[in-house]
Amino acid sequence: MLASLLFGSWAGNALAQQAEEPATPFAGDIPLMMEEAVAAGITHSYDGPWEYFVGGGVSTFDCNQDRLPDMYLAGGQQSAALFVNRSQAGGRLQFDPVDDSSLTLDRVIGSYPLDIDNDGFQDLVVLRVGENRLFKGGPDCRFTPANVSWNFNGGNAWTTAFSASFEPGQAYPTLAVGNYVDRAAPGSPWGTCHPNELHRPAAEPEPKSESPRPDYSSVLPLEPGYCALSMLFTDWNKTGVDALRITNDRQYYRGGQEQLWRLDSGRYPRLYGAAEGWEPVVIWGMGIAEADLDADGYPEYALTSMGDTKLQVLDLQQAIEENRPSYQDMAWDRGATAHRPYTGEDLKPSTGWHSQFEDLNNDALLDLFITKGNVERMSDFAAFDPDNLLLGTHQATFSEQGLAAGLALDRRGRGASITDFNADGLLDIVVVNRGANISLFRNGGMQGPEGLRAGGNWLKLALQQKGNNRHAIGARVSIKTGNRVQTRRLQSGGGHASGSAGFIHVGLGVAERATVRVQWPDGQWSAPFKLFANHHVIIERDSIETMQWFPPTPLP
Amino acid sequence: MNPRNSLAATCHRRLVILACSLTLNGSLAAESMPAESKTVQAQEPWSERALANPMSSADFSGRLDQQRLQTLIDAGEHLFTARFTTLDGVGRPMATQAIIPTKRKRAPRSAFSRTAGMDANACSSCHNVPLVGGAGDFTANVFVSEGFQHTDFDTTDPQFSNERNTNHLFGSGLIELLAREMSGELQALRTQALRTARESGEPTSMALSSKGVNFGQLHAWPDGRVATHDIEGVDQDLVIRPFSHKGVMTSLRQFTINALNHHHGMQATERFGERWTGQQDHDEDGVRNELGPGDVSALVAWQAALPPPGRLSPADERWQNAAARGERHFRNAGCNDCHRRTLPLDSLDFADPGHLDAAGTLRHAEATDATYPLALLAWAKQLERDDSGRYLIPLFGDLKRHRIADQSLSALGNELLSQRFVERNVFMTSELWGIASTAPYGHRGDMSTLAEVIDAHGGEARSARDAWSHLNEQQKSDMIAFLKTLVIAP
Repeated sequence: MLASLLFGSWAGNALAQQAEEPATPFAGDIPLMMEEAVAAGITHSYDGPWEYFVGGGVSTFDCNQDRLPDMYLAGGQQSAALFVNRSQAGGRLQFDPVDDSSLTLDRVIGSYPLDIDNDGFQDLVVLRVGENRLFKGGPDCRFTPANVSWNFNGGNAWTTAFSASFEPGQAYPTLAVGNYVDRAAPGSPWGTCHPNELHRPAAEPEPKSESPRPDYSSVLPLEPGYCALSMLFTDWNKTGVDALRITNDRQYYRGGQEQLWRLDSGRYPRLYGAAEGWEPVVIWGMGIAEADLDADGYPEYALTSMGDTKLQVLDLQQAIEENRPSYQDMAWDRGATAHRPYTGEDLKPSTGWHSQFEDLNNDALLDLFITKGNVERMSDFAAFDPDNLLLGTHQATFSEQGLAAGLALDRRGRGASITDFNADGLLDIVVVNRGANISLFRNGGMQGPEGLRAGGNWLKLALQQKGNNRHAIGARVSIKTGNRVQTRRLQSGGGHASGSAGFIHVGLGVAERATVRVQWPDGQWSAPFKLFANHHVIIERDSIETMQWFPPTPLP
Repeated sequence: MNPRNSLAATCHRRLVILACSLTLNGSLAAESMPAESKTVQAQEPWSERALANPMSSADFSGRLDQQRLQTLIDAGEHLFTARFTTLDGVGRPMATQAIIPTKRKRAPRSAFSRTAGMDANACSSCHNVPLVGGAGDFTANVFVSEGFQHTDFDTTDPQFSNERNTNHLFGSGLIELLAREMSGELQALRTQALRTARESGEPTSMALSSKGVNFGQLHAWPDGRVATHDIEGVDQDLVIRPFSHKGVMTSLRQFTINALNHHHGMQATERFGERWTGQQDHDEDGVRNELGPGDVSALVAWQAALPPPGRLSPADERWQNAAARGERHFRNAGCNDCHRRTLPLDSLDFADPGHLDAAGTLRHAEATDATYPLALLAWAKQLERDDSGRYLIPLFGDLKRHRIADQSLSALGNELLSQRFVERNVFMTSELWGIASTAPYGHRGDMSTLAEVIDAHGGEARSARDAWSHLNEQQKSDMIAFLKTLVIAP
């Protein structure tokens, strides 16, 4: 109730006006997203009492070294589950459960894949109600508990957010853990947000060990905490040093706002404040997505909330001249508010969770996907609240095409991941739903007058480097086609309790070729690579040649 | 005779066939019609519009019979020879010549420009030696730039563009069919290498060869990785792009769309339309949806149907004998290592669109798929066949790119700009069929005799060129006599 009243007081009129405007026909490609979770062998839902009204994340990453993304699904009160991807290239999706995995845990809110110990295998950070768990990944989807061996104190909080960054000079990633309501505090839940945590790795001892391993015995509290629901290390000002952006749930904090932590090397973290240009934003922050929509090197952020989504664009003048993180909300101008259901009779505000920028129709324009779903019988918010697919337009706006794409299911979405499960260059979507089976949307191609057809051209890129940070978290990729430049940044964090690792996907539109350069995490630029579209490409640092990768093909 | 055919026969094919076809094809799909054309009810005889009525790809779907194929070919000839006007959409004031739809920052002072383009009134303005569809004189050279930067260059300084002579298009349907089959074979070898590596658990190297032409080798790993650094003469994706001097265009369809925009500012919807640009009038010349898929199909069909060049049988017995000797010299010198007399072709079925094009050129299921059975054409009966029934296409080429210049012989590497990832001294082997009818020679068309262009061969062609240079004058004369029999039949 509180939420709806506040929402209505400042945004109702404007949004109602927008909703009455006739929709502009979308001339581009609309993908056909076909839900086939059960057919793919997955029956899994996220559920549980109050603690699991939030969360419900999924990790998509390759755990058996076949370069196809497998998935780990949070279960809330029920067990989390690991599924191995058995899909044929370009074919239907197929997954097998891994029944005897050490990852079969209860009280899991979400997870993020990350190679923490630099052995080339993806490890897993599991966020829980209670002790968070780190798992060391090995071959063939084997995971070993690692809290003890890496001196990681998983705590006992209600953890709902995570991000990681390889800070300059560090061998291992810094882990940021975002916590929600401190249920044990007096007066809980109102105004009792748990502090967040920064787990910085200890410096490697000298002489170096023959079997070095991370040491997270030192923990810094990030106070105040405002009930984080998503966090993301981000290089907002293009300095090569990440700051930590946190989106917070106003439902429970008092005097809180969105946060941006400054993490200068060798100094305690400190918050950007109003004096430095950080303007208070108060929302029911649920998920952060980052993208550099205009390829100027300064990222934009989509923040989901109850009601309207924010699309924050940096004030370049303030950023460049005074290093001030001052943002404007451009969601209204760009058609990205996604503030209420786009179909059905329910005109109440939406509840947004996971957000992610990707190019689902390969037209070289980033799209914005948002999961939606009522928290739990909140009557002031839409009960039927389908996920959004905001397709990018050539006018730098977004066009809602969730209904046409087949996403308008009556489910309560939470976490999600967008990835190419069947290696056909078309991005698929997995959504974790509260109280219902997951939605596994296979991208069947673009809807045309003659039936399904191919979309634009695409590239998928995997980065590798030797030594630390083998998967190059923090690297920027510049993809040039003609005069158009697109950028991608490899990050760990954001979304809603959901992470992914694997190939970077780029839609190329009608370009057949692209010149790709990589700015590695230490700031060094690669030589330009000349790549042909519609391929998976592996870029190894310091190699002048790239490698192509092909998924297994069925026997004729 | 079908009344529709009868009416068609009364139309003057070259000039007004499309005016007639409005009556013939009253069922043309309205959705494919340019917006302006939908209001056109009839083509006045004095109209300044070259495009009276768009072709509907729906009318030419599936496997075409002789009549429909001929209708499409005739329409394509009309379009190839049409002098497009501003009423049709000529001009691209706010678009560059780039193959990726690219906006200008400002409109050029003059719509036409012999350097940056647009630079021609009709396809046949340049492709006309010795007849329509043929090559072009030096005066018809084109200045090729990517069209992304310095798009309005007004100089012939080679730092801004590569100056290229106009190629002939005869036999181009067969060229594309060969390239498709060869690409398919090379990609099948890659699949085989990957399967071998996966099954054996060991890295595998695979020699790449198709139709007897060697394209180097690739290396495959059991985990699906492929290294392409030892591939020769073809792009990393193993797609043979047979068109243009550089060998960078996949298909007649892609070439046609590129050229229509570059030379005329006529933009095909399948690349410049609303689907890919968000605009119906991307070049902002006031005409929306200038050319639909059916029009491009007509142009493709006409080009694909152009007969292959032939061999002249000289009446002069001395020339006959000299040519016979010259062909032996040609072979002995190693010229046919690259200029292979024939390449075998399995099928004359020309699918349009083909399967190798990428987004921006029509692909399967994007409009209406068609097959043009080139075997229906009269010239197909003349094609030589081998014991297994394959057609032996006498192109005198290998559809492979080679380094053609070196330190001392650099005339054929006379460009400063690479093009579409292909280095500046690397070019597709020129098919020699029709060479006697298509002087001048060289990529720039700046060599007036065959002897001059042979002398200019360096790089990978150096040994053959040296063998030529060691021939005596009579032998050289014989070789010229042979080359002079490779003609485009009038």
